[in-house]
Amino acid sequence: MNVQTSKTAKVLLLVGRLALAGIFIFAAYAKMKPQAGGEWSAGSLRVSLAMFAMQVDSYQLLSPSTVNFVAHTLPPFELFIGLWLLSGVLLPFSALITALLLGGFFSVMVRSYRMGLEINCGCFGPGERLGPLTLLRDGSLLALAIAVTVGAFWMYRKRSSLSEPSAASDVAVRHAG
Amino acid sequence: MPNRRGRQLALLAALTLSLGLAAGASAQATKTASTKSVSTKPKADSSINAAPNKTIGNPSAPIKMEVFSDYECPSCGAFYENTLKKMISGYVADGKVYLVHHDFPLQMHRYSGIAARWANAAAKIGKFQDVDAALFDNQGSWTETGDVTKYVQGAVSPSDFVKLQTILKGCSTSPAPQSKFDGSMPAADPNCPVDKYIIEDIGKGYQVPVKATPTFVVTYKGKTYPMASAVSWEVLKQFFDTLLSQ
Repeated sequence: MNVQTSKTAKVLLLVGRLALAGIFIFAAYAKMKPQAGGEWSAGSLRVSLAMFAMQVDSYQLLSPSTVNFVAHTLPPFELFIGLWLLSGVLLPFSALITALLLGGFFSVMVRSYRMGLEINCGCFGPGERLGPLTLLRDGSLLALAIAVTVGAFWMYRKRSSLSEPSAASDVAVRHAG
Repeated sequence: MPNRRGRQLALLAALTLSLGLAAGASAQATKTASTKSVSTKPKADSSINAAPNKTIGNPSAPIKMEVFSDYECPSCGAFYENTLKKMISGYVADGKVYLVHHDFPLQMHRYSGIAARWANAAAKIGKFQDVDAALFDNQGSWTETGDVTKYVQGAVSPSDFVKLQTILKGCSTSPAPQSKFDGSMPAADPNCPVDKYIIEDIGKGYQVPVKATPTFVVTYKGKTYPMASAVSWEVLKQFFDTLLSQ
């Protein structure tokens, strides 16, 4: 692979990573922001998460206690993933977790759609119905996350293979000295 | 390079810690407001010319919940049986929630408009809660046969059933109003005294907007929270508790 191709791959990886980071941060914000035009407070956060719990519950997949747990941990976790992707630290692993998370979301949405449940997606807060367009969007995001994961692991391996000979030559230089 | 990686890891650890604190702050409050108990049944209105009262509970309850429902929709039936019944005997009876029913008969359902007519007629004579329950309890039967009358008759006294028949006597020849996929308003039969109330509800539903049934709108301290799906009572109760703790 020549230098030009490698640069293009790096840019594409950066764009994909930042896009996923932005989407995850926005998804977390949309779930936690005050509903009905209120102001940010601990109380407004509790109301927003209780509303999100109703959206999770409408998927008819989890018990009420599990719904409660998911509704209160998923938005902060999405924010964490978004910030992790943004930082670029250990990208192969953050991208892999993102792809697994999006794969989980996508399979649950497909199941609900096939069951004919007329519910809110809950992806970016209330008010968005689960339908073919939401499936297409989440499927595209999953494809992007997989592409970023593959690209990040490929870069990681490439960097590792490049650093090995130089480490060996360092040792050789020290011995020579 | 190792120093840079170390700084990045430290940054990540700091972010994780701050998010953990944020998650802790969002733990659910279970404190509920105490309110005095009230009757779940609206006062009977013997006048057949009265506007239908499709509400249950105390109008001065802190939470108002408006439900847009279709009597033939299976999700609405499940929502009534699994959630609203528990809510009526609990939070509505305790004066915490005021329940308002809005008809939103869907175009795809053959008998939903007819069922809505019976419910509105019952609401005119103060028997809404009985007929509402009978329609949902027997949804699986009358949606097969179309015999709504049988279950309405079983839910009220013979004299009240005569009153309902009197109210609906002009409605028999015209199709019952239903919501339209294109969002247009259905036509009302001028001889049917309940059609205008069903159409009024459909108009309110378009404003929400109702895209599917059941859809409900919770109002608390002037703020509205719409929700477009059926949810379990446990999770809805938790939402109410969170509102009441504000």
